[in-house]
Amino acid sequence: MENERGREKLIKWAVKSPLTYRLLRPVLDLLTRKNDNEPFKIWVRFLLDAMNNSYARKQPVVWMSAFTPSEIAYGMGYVPFMPEIIASVVTYLGKSKGPIALANAYASSDLCSFHRCALGLVMEDYLPKPDLIISSSYLCEGANKFFHYLASYYRCPHLMVDAPYRGGSAAKKYVADQLKELVDKSSRLLGLVPDMSVMSQALELSNKARAYIAEINRLRRSRPSPFPGSEGLSYLAGMVFYSLGSKWGVDFFKTLHLSLEQKVAKGEGYLPEEKYRLLWLHHIRPYYKNEIFKILEEKKAAVSFEETNYLYWPALEPSKPYESLADKIISNIWAGSLERRVHAIEEMVEEYDIDGVIHFSHWGCRQSCGGAAVVGDVLKQKGLPYIVLPGDGADPDNFSPGQTRTRLEALIEMLG
Amino acid sequence: MQDRLTFKEILQDLAKAQASGEGKPLVGWTCTYLPVEILEAAGLQPYRILPEPSSEKADGYLDPNMCPLVKTNLGKAITGGYSFLSGIIILNTCDGMRRLYDAWRFYCPSPFSFLLDVPKTVTSLSVSYFKERLKELATQVEKHFKVEITTDSLNQAIEEANLTRSLSRRLISLQGRGAPPVKHSELLDLLSLGSRTPRSVFNKALEKMVRVLEGEPAGVSNAYRLLLTGSSLDGSALVRLIEELGGEVTISDICPGTRFVDYVEPSADPLFSLSHAYLHKTACARMFDSESRISALKESLLKSKAQGVVYFSLKFCDPFLYEAPFLEEALRELDIPVLFLEGEYTGRVGGGVRTRVQAFLEMLEKNGK
Repeated sequence: MENERGREKLIKWAVKSPLTYRLLRPVLDLLTRKNDNEPFKIWVRFLLDAMNNSYARKQPVVWMSAFTPSEIAYGMGYVPFMPEIIASVVTYLGKSKGPIALANAYASSDLCSFHRCALGLVMEDYLPKPDLIISSSYLCEGANKFFHYLASYYRCPHLMVDAPYRGGSAAKKYVADQLKELVDKSSRLLGLVPDMSVMSQALELSNKARAYIAEINRLRRSRPSPFPGSEGLSYLAGMVFYSLGSKWGVDFFKTLHLSLEQKVAKGEGYLPEEKYRLLWLHHIRPYYKNEIFKILEEKKAAVSFEETNYLYWPALEPSKPYESLADKIISNIWAGSLERRVHAIEEMVEEYDIDGVIHFSHWGCRQSCGGAAVVGDVLKQKGLPYIVLPGDGADPDNFSPGQTRTRLEALIEMLG
Repeated sequence: MQDRLTFKEILQDLAKAQASGEGKPLVGWTCTYLPVEILEAAGLQPYRILPEPSSEKADGYLDPNMCPLVKTNLGKAITGGYSFLSGIIILNTCDGMRRLYDAWRFYCPSPFSFLLDVPKTVTSLSVSYFKERLKELATQVEKHFKVEITTDSLNQAIEEANLTRSLSRRLISLQGRGAPPVKHSELLDLLSLGSRTPRSVFNKALEKMVRVLEGEPAGVSNAYRLLLTGSSLDGSALVRLIEELGGEVTISDICPGTRFVDYVEPSADPLFSLSHAYLHKTACARMFDSESRISALKESLLKSKAQGVVYFSLKFCDPFLYEAPFLEEALRELDIPVLFLEGEYTGRVGGGVRTRVQAFLEMLEKNGK
């Protein structure tokens, strides 16, 4: 018992020490020197750097919800920390069960398991304390309250961008005014003077990354599929959420673009043989060990694209940061009416020459899964095989391997 | 005895009036952030969409982990239960309501559908933005129903709605002054019916009832005084159970029910007045600022001298489920016991809930609360 407590204490100390991440960097570089997945290695280095900065606290640490544009934090000189993304990494490392069990004592188990995982980590005091929390109100109803609760837990301020349902000039002005207010308020709260030239640079970096993302998405139309959907749903999506506005983002997307260009030129697919091309709907997949992608591989079905990586926002204007970021927020295809998302899905089906669609239904998610039936009926009317795959992104105890296999096999049968 | 009969008679009168709707087109709505005055100013009859809990659930059309109220709403709509409506207005209340709006239009389109965007914050920016959205709603209503909404008609609708609000508050204040002349379960039924009844009829009925009840002397009640808060209730079954087991809901903050606007100032810019008043009303958990909701609840607790709190959330209702720990912590500081209940939209209370309510009341007794 005594030993166990000592071990736990040591682990917590290591997790919270910036030194750990500085030491891990060369160690991991050495261990992965033979791994030629350069983009993945950049993701790992990016995460280590983010953790180092978050625990070192040389700049204000600002917690952000996943859909709040990260450009704001980089443009303000803050260290962004995204607990929802960190929860997915913790799940990937096989460590989500403990924090989720702890959080279940306080929160309904019907709530999003990424939030419960992050809440458990907060309660166990594993995460770097926030100086400020910034979130946005669209897409996920739960995220608003989750971040507000965290602000109350840490007794730190919480600023929210209220994202409107519709676009249009009134909506754009509403968001742009709020962003300006957010920049002013957060600077006052953190005792900093905003430097708008840094904000413009962040937007320029975001635009550079965006240009590579557009090229990456174009290359992913190739047959055979050059990039695995399972990775599109993990570190690629993670970088889209977390790195835009930083040099890391440009480096990552540039490297991924180069790697895909080479694969496409050689006609290399990520599967040994590709018979079917699938589209994955929802922003996430289960990050704990599971056989979804192995089953699909057995059936020669490639996940060629994921809706989470759909490039929905226009290029930003560095001289007009508030208006530009407002445009980014209000052009989000998952906010507002379902028609916009359905049109984007139809476009993806065509561009990626999709044979079938999987809508992952993450327990605890209402915004995306609530539209799964309508999306399915639209696609079925077009004769496209479609399944809803129930599961849970972070809680391995809420995943049924047998049911998952049956559903995936049913999809493959439909594909003929 | 006479009072009970009067009360029942009034309810029956209201039910009859509801069936007629005064011949105006009925427009369904879903959330108390909608200024129904806009519809009334257009000569339309607002009709709150509150499906009977026994209605069919749209399980095949929405994910299993969606709000049961949303599923029941859609189920009733798909089976033709709302075919008498000339239009629907759904609000951007939460993820569930947004998806209800999508599915309703896809599976059983209404002649007129509108989603009203309601901000989540209460600031000068959000009040201006909400006013723009109300203007958009008024324009769409005028266009579709070929009517005109004027400043005068809006102000008149506001005045009439202010009368309803003031009478409702008077009625609510009659609770908890001893043996209650108005039980909370009855009050909830009445307010729920009122949200689907022509305003003029409802106001007359309320006036009559308030007059009768205010003339009654205060009685003595030994029931445990409770504050009820949370999401939408599936009717009044839970409140009736509390009353049956020796409790008394002396104040509530729930939807549908008492979470309505207090007063709207008639003005030269009535849409601004509506925007301001509706955003400043007692907040639902969907709003950003949990603290103001909790502080209003604390104030209600002190005023009503409630001895405990019953917090009800429909299953999968994210705003209220996420807010539960907030409220529990705040009430712990006040040493107020909380009973948290999570339920489906069935209109029934099961044995489990009965046992928990019973145990909660026993605990209040034991603690001498």
